[in-house]
Amino acid sequence: MFGKGLAKGLGITFRHMFDKKITEFYPEDMPTLPPRTRSSLALNTPKCISCGMCSSACPNKVITLTTDKNESNKKFLTSYHMDLTRCLFCGLCTEACPTKALYTTTEFENAVYFREDMQWDMMQRYRDKVASGEIKEEVKPETKQEEAKDNG
Amino acid sequence: MIKTQELEINLGPQHPSTHGVFRMITKLDGETVTSVESKVGYLHRGMEKLAESRTYTQYIPYTDRLDYLASINNNLGYVQTVEKLMGVEVPERAEYLRIIFGELQRLASHMVAIGTGSLDLGGFTPFLYTFRDREKILDLFEMTIGGRMTMNMPRIGGIIEPPEEFWPALNKFLGEMPGSIEEYHGIITGNEIFQARTVGVGIISPELAEQIAVTGPNLRGSGIKWDLRKNAPYGIYDRFDFEVPVGVNGDCFDRYIVRVREMEESIKIIHQAVRDIPEGPTFAKVPKLIKPSVGEVYHRVENPRGELSFYIVSDGSTKPYRLRIRGGTFVNIQVLPYVAPGWKLADVIAILASLDIILPECDR
Amino acid sequence: MPQYGSGLFVSIAHLIRGLFGGTTVTADVVMTVINSLIIWALIALAALSLILLERKVAGWMQLRTGPNRLGPRGWFQTVADAMKLLGKEDIFPAAADKWVFGLAPMFVIGLSVMVMAVIPYGKGMVPVDLNVGIFYLLAVSALTTIPFFMAGWGSNNKFALLGGMRAVAQMISYEIPLVFSLLGVVMITQTFKMSAIVNAQSHVWFILLQPLGFVVYTIAATAETNRAPFDLVEGESELTAGAFTEYTGMRWALFFLGEYANLFIVSAVAATVFLGGWQGPFLPGWIWFAIKVLFMVFLFLWFRWTFPRLRVDQLMHFGWKVLLPLSVANILLTGVGIYIYQLIYPAIGG
Ligand code: SF4
Ligand code: SF4
Repeated sequence: MFGKGLAKGLGITFRHMFDKKITEFYPEDMPTLPPRTRSSLALNTPKCISCGMCSSACPNKVITLTTDKNESNKKFLTSYHMDLTRCLFCGLCTEACPTKALYTTTEFENAVYFREDMQWDMMQRYRDKVASGEIKEEVKPETKQEEAKDNG
Repeated sequence: MIKTQELEINLGPQHPSTHGVFRMITKLDGETVTSVESKVGYLHRGMEKLAESRTYTQYIPYTDRLDYLASINNNLGYVQTVEKLMGVEVPERAEYLRIIFGELQRLASHMVAIGTGSLDLGGFTPFLYTFRDREKILDLFEMTIGGRMTMNMPRIGGIIEPPEEFWPALNKFLGEMPGSIEEYHGIITGNEIFQARTVGVGIISPELAEQIAVTGPNLRGSGIKWDLRKNAPYGIYDRFDFEVPVGVNGDCFDRYIVRVREMEESIKIIHQAVRDIPEGPTFAKVPKLIKPSVGEVYHRVENPRGELSFYIVSDGSTKPYRLRIRGGTFVNIQVLPYVAPGWKLADVIAILASLDIILPECDR
Repeated sequence: MPQYGSGLFVSIAHLIRGLFGGTTVTADVVMTVINSLIIWALIALAALSLILLERKVAGWMQLRTGPNRLGPRGWFQTVADAMKLLGKEDIFPAAADKWVFGLAPMFVIGLSVMVMAVIPYGKGMVPVDLNVGIFYLLAVSALTTIPFFMAGWGSNNKFALLGGMRAVAQMISYEIPLVFSLLGVVMITQTFKMSAIVNAQSHVWFILLQPLGFVVYTIAATAETNRAPFDLVEGESELTAGAFTEYTGMRWALFFLGEYANLFIVSAVAATVFLGGWQGPFLPGWIWFAIKVLFMVFLFLWFRWTFPRLRVDQLMHFGWKVLLPLSVANILLTGVGIYIYQLIYPAIGG
């Protein structure tokens, strides 16, 4: 009979009126993204061995790093710069990194007002993070916790 | 003196229903369309040229940006082409994972297709229901690889292993799907207004479809049983038991219903893959630096929007010498000038929606 | 049954009249001014709350929450939107026919005010209780076609022109079943007067006597108000915004206001003619009226957020080949019914 499908559709929409809503209340309830989410990149400077694999893996030449050698002929980073305007967030750089010094993070609020703010000085960002207490200076927080347990 | 004149209106490139930046120059006699001229190319980014300055691995994320609603399928197509060129054997588990993710992506893509199809006919709510379900798939992807639209998941020689929590989440999703499809049938398929708008509208005859080389659900909607997963199986599609749904009349409704039925088949395939998947590694032994020997290769896969094929010429270096992409949309869209005339303006929108175009793949 | 508080507004009106002593002419003038002000306020209020309701209901049906930022649960959202629209630039397209383009939105809203004057909001609460109320209402609301066409023509835009053409075709075809569907009620009550029609429903609502009339009315009214599944005038998927494509700021807002005022009007007419108007137990009459109007409004919202849009030729077919015969059949049935009724109870009725 004509109208049966219409009535069924009406029934479906009416039922959904009382369903649980799936809206995310974003700034109030921050979503917790799964750990693998590639929404931002961060560098753990002490872990970096200045090998340059990340920069050569990147398809878009986002990463430029400069290195220097210390007395014991060991390379160390002097600057690590990312041009986020060109980044695809593809994660090829973090995959290539042998020490996982460069890693993806779940921070997704990357919007900025000015183009210049997309030029990331990764070493500075690391220092800021340490200063703000977001990450510990020492690379392995697990061992620290164990130590704390042993002591106390 | 009064005279009648055809009204020429320009739909797009900014228009609510041209799915991006497609442009149609439409001539109208009253409300009836007399001719449609399609203009593409507004989204040309030089994808093929870009490949020549990227290494083989580096090009994978670019294939995400062809048909961005089916990025894993694109990745797979490209990766398999390179593997074919190099003669790499992919581990079993990786093959199964590729099937699972490919079909999940197909589901997500078809959801957008039927949702926007309904939206273009003025039904807003069904569109959000399909997106609600697509969201679940995207959550699965996000959990596995970290991306939602541009996945960049398969690698040359393998695929990324999903985390532990992926499998229960997948099962939950598969359990919810039949109910959702039932709901689409209730609110879209069974709706008399939807049927009135689509049944018998925009018929693509099998001959026309063959002449223009339409592929994908649009071809099957015209009643031609041609699906690369069955007719020229790639990967391990030959091990799965699934139907290739076909339409009867080749109208908008058939193209719609073929997609819904394909979704059911995809769920079947995923179920089989989840049942059969072996343990083991997900990466073959491939060198870090991909350097295929001199040669050329052509490979095609069945994407949600038709056949996607890559043609790669290698000069033995780390970068392709030439890469050519054949996308489904670019070809499918060519039927529009043949099908649209004679229908009302609103029907042209319905036809366009039923063709399920995606412009980045078309313009590349 | 007792209705508490029914006389509230009527008493207020009496009080105001009382202030002017016996000079009825002054009292009449003042009352007319107050009435018209109230109607304006009502339009604004109805439009603002209906827009919010529409967005909320749409949200709920789509598993969203709808507007939720401004004020408690987003109740002030439409107020803010209206403010924003007031602040927008008023753009006249270079090629537009200035007078026609500029006047169209005012006509829309003016016609809505004229129609709202004859609706019985409660017992004794009819701003102007014409003895040809329904007739007047239909006549004036039929005019709403003209501003839409003016908008479409005046914009000098192809999309707008198509939208305007559709408006004319659609509204004229659906005006006829709309009128015919109300005729059955008029035949039963033998009057055009709105308050008399409500009074006649003190025992049984006409929706029970005229179910077919109600259905035809609801469908035709959806088309009259240009709402989905008959929103071809706007038709955003093919015509971007149809007749309103070129409008900006407050002029566009007036169309929007008019659309929701029309929604309110058709719902109010349905409530008056088919659902017993202010009649109902316990609660004051105007609250009953509001409940019934809201019910009708919800029905329209529900349709809009469930159905896709019809095509222009299907719309015409449906109007002329289905609705018109149905409404004529309804009149015939009503006539036969009345005849039989009079045979049985010769004392009662016409
Ligand atoms: S995410 Fe991709 S584009 Fe961005 S820096 Fe890493 S490799 Fe380069
Ligand atoms: S690949 Fe890792 S270790 Fe090497 S330079 Fe880049 S961040 Fe440092």
